[in-house]
Amino acid sequence: MSPASAAGDSGNPALPASPAALASPAEAADALRRSVARQFGRSLHIRTLDTGSCAACEQEIRLLTAPHYDLHRLGFFFTPAPRHADLLMVTGPMIRAFDIAARKTYEAMPGPKLVVATGACALGGVYQPDAFTHGTVGETLPVDVWIPGCPPSPLALLHGLLVAVDRLAAKVRDLTFTRSGGDR
Amino acid sequence: MPLWFARGLRRGVVTTRYPARPDPSAAELPTPPAFRPDALTRELADRLSLVCPSWALTRNGDVLIFDAGACTACGRCREAAPGAVTASGEFELAATDPAHLVKRIPLLGEGP
Amino acid sequence: MTAVQPGLAGEAPGLRGLLGELGRDAAADEGAAGNGPVVTVSVAGPDLEAAVRRLAAFPGARLADMFASGGNPAIGGDPVVLRLVWGLDSDQRYLVIESVIEGERYPQLSDITPAAFHEECEIYEQFGIRPEGGKPLNRVALPPQAGPGFPRLGRAPAEPPAEVHAPHLVGGHAFEFPFGPVRQVGVESLYYGLVTSGEEIVDLYLFTWHKHRGVEWRMRGRTPREALFHVERTEGLGAVGAGWAFAAAAEAALDVEPPGQAMRARAVALEMERLYNHAAAAAALCQSTGLAVGQAAAEIALERLLRLNAAAFGHRYLFGVVDIGGVRRGPDASALRRELPGAYGELRRAADALLSTNSFLDRLEATGILTREAARRLGMVGPVARATGLTTDARADHLAGPYAGHPPEVATGDGGDVLARFRVMLAEAAESVRLIGEFLEADAGPGLTESPEGIAGRPGRSGLGWAESSRGEALAWVALDGSGRITRARLRPASVRNWRGFDDACRSQNVFTDIPIIEASFWLTVAGTSR
Repeated sequence: MSPASAAGDSGNPALPASPAALASPAEAADALRRSVARQFGRSLHIRTLDTGSCAACEQEIRLLTAPHYDLHRLGFFFTPAPRHADLLMVTGPMIRAFDIAARKTYEAMPGPKLVVATGACALGGVYQPDAFTHGTVGETLPVDVWIPGCPPSPLALLHGLLVAVDRLAAKVRDLTFTRSGGDR
Repeated sequence: MPLWFARGLRRGVVTTRYPARPDPSAAELPTPPAFRPDALTRELADRLSLVCPSWALTRNGDVLIFDAGACTACGRCREAAPGAVTASGEFELAATDPAHLVKRIPLLGEGP
Repeated sequence: MTAVQPGLAGEAPGLRGLLGELGRDAAADEGAAGNGPVVTVSVAGPDLEAAVRRLAAFPGARLADMFASGGNPAIGGDPVVLRLVWGLDSDQRYLVIESVIEGERYPQLSDITPAAFHEECEIYEQFGIRPEGGKPLNRVALPPQAGPGFPRLGRAPAEPPAEVHAPHLVGGHAFEFPFGPVRQVGVESLYYGLVTSGEEIVDLYLFTWHKHRGVEWRMRGRTPREALFHVERTEGLGAVGAGWAFAAAAEAALDVEPPGQAMRARAVALEMERLYNHAAAAAALCQSTGLAVGQAAAEIALERLLRLNAAAFGHRYLFGVVDIGGVRRGPDASALRRELPGAYGELRRAADALLSTNSFLDRLEATGILTREAARRLGMVGPVARATGLTTDARADHLAGPYAGHPPEVATGDGGDVLARFRVMLAEAAESVRLIGEFLEADAGPGLTESPEGIAGRPGRSGLGWAESSRGEALAWVALDGSGRITRARLRPASVRNWRGFDDACRSQNVFTDIPIIEASFWLTVAGTSR
């Protein structure tokens, strides 16, 4: 079971703390998201969704269950059935013709659920919005975690999944991608 | 299947210890750029924006906007300006908010 | 432009006779040195059907691709030019037939050569022209949402094409249902229709439009170097194959010859791509047959090969290696020499164990049989074609660059079933390791890449490029304007050729659970055909 969290005085970790304890609706939403994520921390079922990728992201995702990475040791599993899935891992730039299939897959998953946009195409790179693609997954589905990379390596995918269930902190917020002169 | 069992035992464990321990293979992965603000002129920023094939770089006034989510770590910006751009070495880039992936890099000389 | 390359006087009489029949004079084309292995012939509209008949009957001629260009709706009366690319494999040449199509009709070609049918459909959707005779054309390229205003390479067709449907009438106890595009975990979206009477596959037909990203449309107006980024990401598991074919096409158009060391670096990358794809196919075969231990063993090999790609070339999938005029990064030869024997050894040991596991072999034997005749008729390429007994391999049939000095041993099979394809892939993997060793041995001297941006390309030029990717022959054709920007780019990964044989292979005596096995043995990508 999930550890008792500061977020639930009823003891149910799915409920947020009482509104008086939080400063803003944004904080309440974040606390709710985190407690949902924590529920999945020990056992998570993942469904993948290709919305138009070049197939490299899929190959890296397949390697998550390979011996070098072994997703199962973290309590994560793949499932083909959206009904059993907790997390939807979405690749590709969301081709417009794919919208309906993407929404159907997402809606077939029971709540609570998470969406992880995977790879540069899904995050707004490689393809600009045009008549063919949205260029990002975020216009069609509500995304919880964004994983950059082209393709993201299995290590980056592991990191992203662990961030999604709140087992690792997302550190990119504090990265500046700058260096002062003289370094390296 | 004794054949496979014996082979498996002989093979040993290859599984990564990540996240408990860093994985050495990460050192060879391509990574997004790190910029030297003291080497980035407006002109260089414009040139880098054109060189990037993935729309990860745009100049807005005196700031170079870098979208680490759109970045494919292709290295073209690094090749165009090796003195101003190096590899960041970062691969743990997952974000819970897309805004956290967009960085504003100040350009040389001009005010904030 | 009428062009016959110089030096053909000494060619096989068959080819000379053929060209004579096509009505060409031996007029030399100036400065065509870089284009020696490619002959381009213009054929007037009325002569096109006879020319195609003649080629279809010519021994050793294979229709490698057919595509159109021109037909710009913004330019009134801009005619569509049809091009057919034939592989004259026994003559070490490609023959490109160009024909200006007046109006909206051209001769019925797929009746003469069935290998042209998919292309006729695609040309109809993109350019609005169709063969005579009214044979129904299927939707293969653009999604159903693509109305008249949807971005196309040419003009929209007058009527939308027919939707793909079961080739035979469904009746009796058989029923039909659509499958996908969202299917098993970790595989690309693929949308197909299945006709079954319960367990047995009566029919299977693919929809190939659902991953259409408009790649060829996007490439227009870009320089070849800019476009290469998108070419690699058309089919990421074939980045080197597609990138090489496209770079070679641009180099032919720009009259650029990359230095020998750069070409050997490209070849090392291409063979590494072949190796990791064949390892991935082995893993997929094990997964499809439920052999988890075998899958794990193959995945260990695959992961080691991908890490070696990163160590040697800077990217696990070899993106960013090929460049116009050479390579952007050469291999780290010491990393390759150190690591490749071990990584390949993993694959070799896994393969040996698999070939000794009867329960595995039983699932593969006589499954997914593709006949030699079907493969030839449909113009298929790669290990899938070679496993039926055909010998087509662009490295050996069109010796150019690094392979000219190091011709590969072409692996062929017998029977065209899943086991034959698996054996062909394993033989090719061994050959790839040998070739990489030879290329690394041959290297000496400096200079990896030229910089063609500074080279004045001749305006209005076009070029054909090719490479034998892990899935088969990848082709590309590019036309550049006076400033060196693309006016038309044609990308034809091997997957475009080979998916059309998938339904044949699934149909004969197979059941549902055989479909993933057959798919793994083809090891194509959806992205490579739906682009």
